[in-house]
Amino acid sequence: MDDQKKTILVIDDDENLLMATRDLLENWGYRVYTHKRGFGSTAAIDLVKPDLVLLDINMPGLPGDRLAGLIKTFEATKRVPIVFYSSNDEDALREAVSVHKVRGYIPKGDIYELRQKVRQYLNCNCA
Amino acid sequence: MLTKSRDLKDTATGETALVHIDTHVGGLITSKGNIAPGAPVKQAADIFFGNVEVDAMALVDCMEPIGLITRNKLLMKLFRLYGYELYGKRPIITMADTSPLYVNSKERLDVALDMAMSRPFQEIYDELVVVDPKGHYMGLLSIKDLVIRQSHALANSIVQKELANAKASELEKISQVKTQFLANVTHELRSPVNAIISLAELMQVSCDKGYIGQLKDRLALLISSSASLKAIINNVLDLSKIEAGKMDVIYEEFDAVAKLDEIVETTKVLLGNKHVDVKLVTSEQSLFIESDPVKLRQIVLNLTSNAAKFTEDGSITVRMEVAGKFIGVSVSDTGLGIKQEDMEKLFTAFGQIEDAKTKSREGTGLGLTVTKYLVNLLGGEIRFESEWGRGTTFFVRLPIKK
Repeated sequence: MDDQKKTILVIDDDENLLMATRDLLENWGYRVYTHKRGFGSTAAIDLVKPDLVLLDINMPGLPGDRLAGLIKTFEATKRVPIVFYSSNDEDALREAVSVHKVRGYIPKGDIYELRQKVRQYLNCNCA
Repeated sequence: MLTKSRDLKDTATGETALVHIDTHVGGLITSKGNIAPGAPVKQAADIFFGNVEVDAMALVDCMEPIGLITRNKLLMKLFRLYGYELYGKRPIITMADTSPLYVNSKERLDVALDMAMSRPFQEIYDELVVVDPKGHYMGLLSIKDLVIRQSHALANSIVQKELANAKASELEKISQVKTQFLANVTHELRSPVNAIISLAELMQVSCDKGYIGQLKDRLALLISSSASLKAIINNVLDLSKIEAGKMDVIYEEFDAVAKLDEIVETTKVLLGNKHVDVKLVTSEQSLFIESDPVKLRQIVLNLTSNAAKFTEDGSITVRMEVAGKFIGVSVSDTGLGIKQEDMEKLFTAFGQIEDAKTKSREGTGLGLTVTKYLVNLLGGEIRFESEWGRGTTFFVRLPIKK
């Protein structure tokens, strides 16, 4: 049964939020991996092969929007669906989604939206 | 009857206002100067020599104007050889212009000007004789005065416009910076709030399942998120106090070592579950200083919480030493460090003027601005050393006594 669990990789520099998101997603029945900075994310994706990546934008060093572009350049990682998961203003997020051509965004702080959208994005992923 | 008003300025505002072309010339009379046509030239000359303000006089016979004598014309004649002897006793009418330009007081200015400007070149600047509908003399309209007045008003309006433009663009810039700053602050406030919401939700889950151990872990994170939220709010409030000039120093005697110990403990809370060691290094057991303990706490806590934010593993060290009449407090971390290009704008609240959309760094730039201000307020100094990728040390020097 366990193999049918969808895998989500959460990339965020805010440890508290990272842990909280992990616990929430696990509680909803997903397998969750976390990565605590922008650097090394592509290796993590390659290793974990997630069904969905939740990617924070405001991270020191390597921000999520730039990272999204990087992930798309590597053969091993370019097909993984990325969703921005950020506290930024929704207008800004919408713009970032269209600029960086990722699957969508989930605003932080709304747990019900997180639950619904994660479910929605995972069902959409028919790869 | 010499009542000439050369005061071109509007007495109410002190500004020269532009005269609109549809004004009636009757309202623009600059002088009522007149002289009887039979008066001797000598008398007219005395008036011109005695009143530098008088440029022209109408020759008026029983209210009816029959000519114009200008200062120029009179001088030209008199300064000729024997001019004065020749003309002095003759009536002024003999040298006056007997067909000056008469305009009805109800005439529009542009029409009158068209007429004035179509005169021969040497007469263009001669005064217009303004008459009422019955043909009675009302006064003179000086083209020269009008030109001066219009060009003053024009120059003035250009200057005003430029000033207004400069001010508008300045205001726009300030408002842009403030909007961006607000967006950054909002983002910073949202981060801990979002964590708090998620953690509270999770604690509910833990409660439902009866996982007490989990509850305790999450509570620690909840407290750390709340503490960082409080720190941000404090800085926002402090900055508004600073901007309003309402930041006061309240001096007290207190133990700096105990205060720093307290800050180290709070920093541990801020670190949550991060594996970062925080310690206070000092040779003093206790050190009583005369300063503002609330501000000292704010200063050092801002520095340690910055260190906590940017340090993933390693340590944060707070050092204190006495140097003469000062104490030196330093906060070192083994964190991310500061890039060379960011160093200059480190202490400006709006220094992190990156769009919130593309913002890559955490923080509002608020903490360090407030910190620097508070350090200066307590009569101290702050500086830092940093190496990108290696870590940062902030040094604060504060007077021990008030």
